[in-house]
Amino acid sequence: MTEEHAGRVLETIREFANIGAGSAATALSSLLDLELMNEVTACSILPLANVTDWLGGPDQVVAGSYTQLCGDLRSGILVILPEHSAKTLLEHLTKEDVDFANLNSLQRSALKEVGNICLCWYLIAVSKMVNIDMIPSPPDATVDLLGAVLDMPLATLGAKVDTVLAVHTCFKGIGREFEGYFLMLPEESTLKLILDRMGDPKG
Amino acid sequence: MTELRSVGIGQIIIVRAPEPLACIGLGSCVAVIMYDPVTKLGGIVHVLLPNAPRSSPENPEKYADTGTRKLLQEMLVKGARKDRIVAKLVGGAQMFPGMNLYVKDIGKANCTEVWKVLRELGIRVTGEDIEGSKGRSAYLDTNTGKVTVKSAFSDRRIL
Repeated sequence: MTEEHAGRVLETIREFANIGAGSAATALSSLLDLELMNEVTACSILPLANVTDWLGGPDQVVAGSYTQLCGDLRSGILVILPEHSAKTLLEHLTKEDVDFANLNSLQRSALKEVGNICLCWYLIAVSKMVNIDMIPSPPDATVDLLGAVLDMPLATLGAKVDTVLAVHTCFKGIGREFEGYFLMLPEESTLKLILDRMGDPKG
Repeated sequence: MTELRSVGIGQIIIVRAPEPLACIGLGSCVAVIMYDPVTKLGGIVHVLLPNAPRSSPENPEKYADTGTRKLLQEMLVKGARKDRIVAKLVGGAQMFPGMNLYVKDIGKANCTEVWKVLRELGIRVTGEDIEGSKGRSAYLDTNTGKVTVKSAFSDRRIL
């Protein structure tokens, strides 16, 4: 990929992810009854080994909800919340104290559901935009080191490639300490399809 | 002292005592840690997937089968002796067990493959902390060959 071409790809994908994340943040806002603001999407083409460093290092504890698209479009999509934000979110939803080392089944399920809602709204928005149906697998959630959470999404991609395109959209609570981000790791064929559709508004 | 170096996915790093070495945030990935107690050489390969798609892939360090072999070769080149080298394994967890209908247990497959290759190579395994569903970080002390394993929430374990 030439540098100029890579620049255009990143620009298009940034727009794509902004719209998805905007929709997901709206859903999350109404679920939590809290105003959220999206920050500008960052995307980068990186070697597999550098993805966790790009996201701030592998040893932070995070809550991650993960789903994979399994239709024409293939991509891993994650919602990642830093420890303190996930705790705020769970305590707000379940009205009980949260011990991250021992999440009970209700808390785990709440975390999955929040991930599910965000991921689905993300997909609804982008799927409308490019006019392709997107089929997510049932999501799963875990609380662990960021490096560990990202292993499976990276392994799924890493079977085919050594560099990935990572797309990161941060959201922040207005007036309250709450933040997190969406991470999309599309396969190469999916990337082509998205670029194709984004470049041709009639298609 | 220099900064603690951490081995990223698909990388091999070999150091000599007293420099420590780490592999941070292992989920389904496996850290194969080799140590020669006489030369005090310690090396880690951080593998992502069990099997290389062909016998000579572009980056053999990414796969359990080719990565483990390459780590041994590089240890030997740096002066370690095969009959003295011992290995320890960390990682290979299943991070999203709820998705096991859709994706297979890569962590377990990674561990199985590393074990198989080490047996073929005749390398002794003197410690392991593998599988389960928790992420781990491994810290190698090249002075002693001891490996400290930490998880996000549980106590540390020494291998």
